[in-house]
Amino acid sequence: MPEAQKEQFNANQLSDYLKLYYKRLFPHKQFYRWISYNLSEDGIFTNREFSFTMEDDIYIRYLSFENQSELENDICTKIPHKIDIGAVFNTRPKNHRSNANMKPIQRELVFDIDMTDYDDVRTCCNEANICNKCWKFMSIACKVIDTALREDFGFEHLLWVFSGRRGIHCWVCDKTARHLDSKGRGAIADYLQVSMSGGGENTVTKVTLYDKQHHSIRRARTIIEPCFNEIIIEDQDAFGSPSGIDKLLKMVNDETCRKELQNLFASTASDSKSIWSTFVGYFESMRVKSQLKSKLKYIVEEVQLAMLYPRLDINVSRGTNHLLKAPFCVHPKTGKVCVPFNPNLAHKFDPMTVPTVNLLMKEIDEFDQKTNEALETPDDKAAKVKDFKKTSMFKSTVIFEEFLRKIEQSTKSKAITVSDKRMEF
Amino acid sequence: MDFTKRSRIKLLKSPDEDSIDRFAPHNCMFYILPPQNDVSLKDFEDLAIERLKLLRILEQASLKYPKILSDEWKEFIINELNAEGLKYFVRLIKGNGNSEQDKHARRRDYLSHFILRFAYCRSEELRRWFITREMELFKFKFSSLSSNEIKDFIELYEMGYRPITDEQKNEVRQELQCSSTGNIDTIDFYKVNFLQVLDLVRQRKCFLKGGFAYVSSNDFSSIIGGHHQQFIEKGLLSHLKLLPEFENDERIVGIIKGLHTSYVGKDYTVNKDADVPIESLDQLSLKSYPLCMRMCHESLRKTHHLKHSGRLQYGLFLKGIGVSLEDSLRFWREEMTKNMEVDKFDKSYAYGIRYNYGKEGSRTNWTPWSCAKIISTAPGAQDVAGCPFKLWDSIELKSKLTSFGLNPMAVQDVVSYASKGHFQLACGRYFESVHETRLDEGVNHPNGYFENSQIIMGNRQTKEKNKPSSQQSNFNHRKQVQMNKQQEFKRKMDIKIKEEKDFDEELWKLSQREEELLNEWNTRQEQTKKEVAEISQMDWNDDDEDMSQINNYL
Ligand code: SF4
Ligand SMILES: [Zn+2]
Repeated sequence: MPEAQKEQFNANQLSDYLKLYYKRLFPHKQFYRWISYNLSEDGIFTNREFSFTMEDDIYIRYLSFENQSELENDICTKIPHKIDIGAVFNTRPKNHRSNANMKPIQRELVFDIDMTDYDDVRTCCNEANICNKCWKFMSIACKVIDTALREDFGFEHLLWVFSGRRGIHCWVCDKTARHLDSKGRGAIADYLQVSMSGGGENTVTKVTLYDKQHHSIRRARTIIEPCFNEIIIEDQDAFGSPSGIDKLLKMVNDETCRKELQNLFASTASDSKSIWSTFVGYFESMRVKSQLKSKLKYIVEEVQLAMLYPRLDINVSRGTNHLLKAPFCVHPKTGKVCVPFNPNLAHKFDPMTVPTVNLLMKEIDEFDQKTNEALETPDDKAAKVKDFKKTSMFKSTVIFEEFLRKIEQSTKSKAITVSDKRMEF
Repeated sequence: MDFTKRSRIKLLKSPDEDSIDRFAPHNCMFYILPPQNDVSLKDFEDLAIERLKLLRILEQASLKYPKILSDEWKEFIINELNAEGLKYFVRLIKGNGNSEQDKHARRRDYLSHFILRFAYCRSEELRRWFITREMELFKFKFSSLSSNEIKDFIELYEMGYRPITDEQKNEVRQELQCSSTGNIDTIDFYKVNFLQVLDLVRQRKCFLKGGFAYVSSNDFSSIIGGHHQQFIEKGLLSHLKLLPEFENDERIVGIIKGLHTSYVGKDYTVNKDADVPIESLDQLSLKSYPLCMRMCHESLRKTHHLKHSGRLQYGLFLKGIGVSLEDSLRFWREEMTKNMEVDKFDKSYAYGIRYNYGKEGSRTNWTPWSCAKIISTAPGAQDVAGCPFKLWDSIELKSKLTSFGLNPMAVQDVVSYASKGHFQLACGRYFESVHETRLDEGVNHPNGYFENSQIIMGNRQTKEKNKPSSQQSNFNHRKQVQMNKQQEFKRKMDIKIKEEKDFDEELWKLSQREEELLNEWNTRQEQTKKEVAEISQMDWNDDDEDMSQINNYL
């Protein structure tokens, strides 16, 4: 990314930026519209836990609010560096000390995918860093998970959010999803996960496929396989180094084949493309000669899945009580806003141009300066409401609005259609 | 409960075999309607023990072969059930049937389930254990049913599930085929909310579309199992509510109260075959003691004292391994009088030790505590007792084991078992590492642990010489001996339900307080005995009031 565009973010100034950000840009109204779900259930807003992380990492849990303005005021006066959203409880979380029986009633089903879990397959960056190349892993993960949640589970209200640094979150907000117990959450998470073995320091990630492949796996393959060349071969150049080749070989669980491949590779040009086509060609010729051992029948597909199948942080999804960073927060390290994005266009989303809080402030300033003459009072209410429209946050707000529109329809119109055919005896 | 056997009076009218069709119409059954029949006290006790054995076998199987319904798992259970003489359960897990034998088996299954609910409704921990086992049983039974038997089942219980039509099937044919097992043309599919089959969802074992799961009749157990579990969960809670009223009947309470800790394995009450000199205890404690006893021993040596449950746990263990009463008295006296007057010891503690040997008070020859008993004991503050694998946190356990010189791999295993709540497996692994051998059975009893250890070390012989089992030919000698031992173990599963729990509380008081308390207690014992004698002389008739109470609760 061009340095010029990068408005250097200085974490020390975060509080100053945030003060303005919360006052002028944070979409308080929409945020409340989301989290209050049309007040469709008792206590759905008032019993919701929020937690604030303050400057100096002071962490305040069990906050809850009576209405939108209370929430808004608290955010604007406390200026939290981070806001997390927890569960809706059977009582007001702020009274948690006096109520020993406090327990979570509902909570969005959430997914968290973190770029660091791909460190063994990405060569472009590592750890907290991310670039447009590795974003492609995220975009694939988003597509696979999004499709499965919609097609298989019938969920409709999915909010995808860039976490501000190196990951993405998905909030599933359908009523059924919100009311899942941890067993249900665990089951869905497990369903979406392909059990991969290995992945540690010296091991290699491995997936095993059989003749019978569940339709969700087949579908994932149709999403993943067409992108394999671009991402793994071209962008990542994954087999262009001896260690990359080594990892590839380690996925072949057969001594003889490994040896033969090694020899073949020795006489192959050592770029990813040649290595991969040698690899594929080798197994294809084995197959043609009917010499392919059954455990290696799907080795090519297995490699592709192992490298590109979404890697979920399952524990985040399992709990009903897990706190997750709210959308439109500012990531305290990068200054980037956690913006929603459209899962259908995930591949077009550019994490590198996600606005930082300081850039946004600058945009507003510039805008204000241009229009200052026209406005008598810069704090004019009408002007303030539309502040986000002046900035590069505009697009994300539109996506959020669209999400809200749909979910409000569902909470309004649908008079609880529970397809629960539980039998009575 | 001896008096019932002594008096041989049939307390209640016999259950009506015919009504079993109503309550338990299928070998694979729900336990919904509580029994309306009467059960004799003897039956009550027998059934309780039989089912307890069954559930323990299931537990063992699942600890050994964590993959439920795997071939090994099934085989283990069937073998054990046969060995235990519980053939009727074997019948029930092999599909449906309607012969007289089936009905007889169903009756025992059905009644015993409801009886054990009393023993297992009393705490969350007990309930969870019970439900887990019952679910294993149900899954096993259901897995043996044919497509038709499943249909029957669904009809019998009027569950209202209908298979999808061929037309519906064709719409999703391809997806169904790749997401389910078996030939989809011959299998019925049911379309249900995915929330009802979370187990299948978790394992991607069914086709999902728009929030609905397409479940083959083979996999239907998951749904049915869900209902089954709900019935039992609710049932246990309503049993719990009934319990207070029920607790007036001492005879029943006597059976159910200690049941979950009762030990149905070998009887270690007296050891006639060994004489263990107390001078060897320090040495023995290093290798042949399980951790619970080693802990007691070391603490006693260090502090010259053990609080009451520690004294009971360790004292009875010593009796079980073959320390004579005289030696035992000497052992405790020597140690404890390092910190107290001999007088005080003789006055306050010697009694308790003689008591352990059945030489005082009610003169019961107390059974050494089993693992189940020890694990469920919650020691008080500063009370050294209980099972260390349960009591110690991972860090403490790790450092202790390491300091004993266990190899890091074994330490890791043990700690991981323990942290998952598999204390007896942890103990078994510990045993294996200390003895550098394999232990095919889990640890059930500290005295069993001790005996196995002694046998492996060549200090003790197995009592019965069994013919060597052929498939073990390449085992070394020690393992051979051990195998024989284990076979003997299984054969000699004589059951003793001791009224442990009731009397333990008294025992604790005993070993702690002084003469007057003892007297008071003794008088009470006499009274109870008198009452019991009176009861057993009463002429019971079919409509006996006391016993018909049970039925109200069942
Ligand atoms: S498992 Fe049994 S023998 Fe082993 S330490 Fe625990 S109570 Fe003692
Ligand atoms: Zn990168």
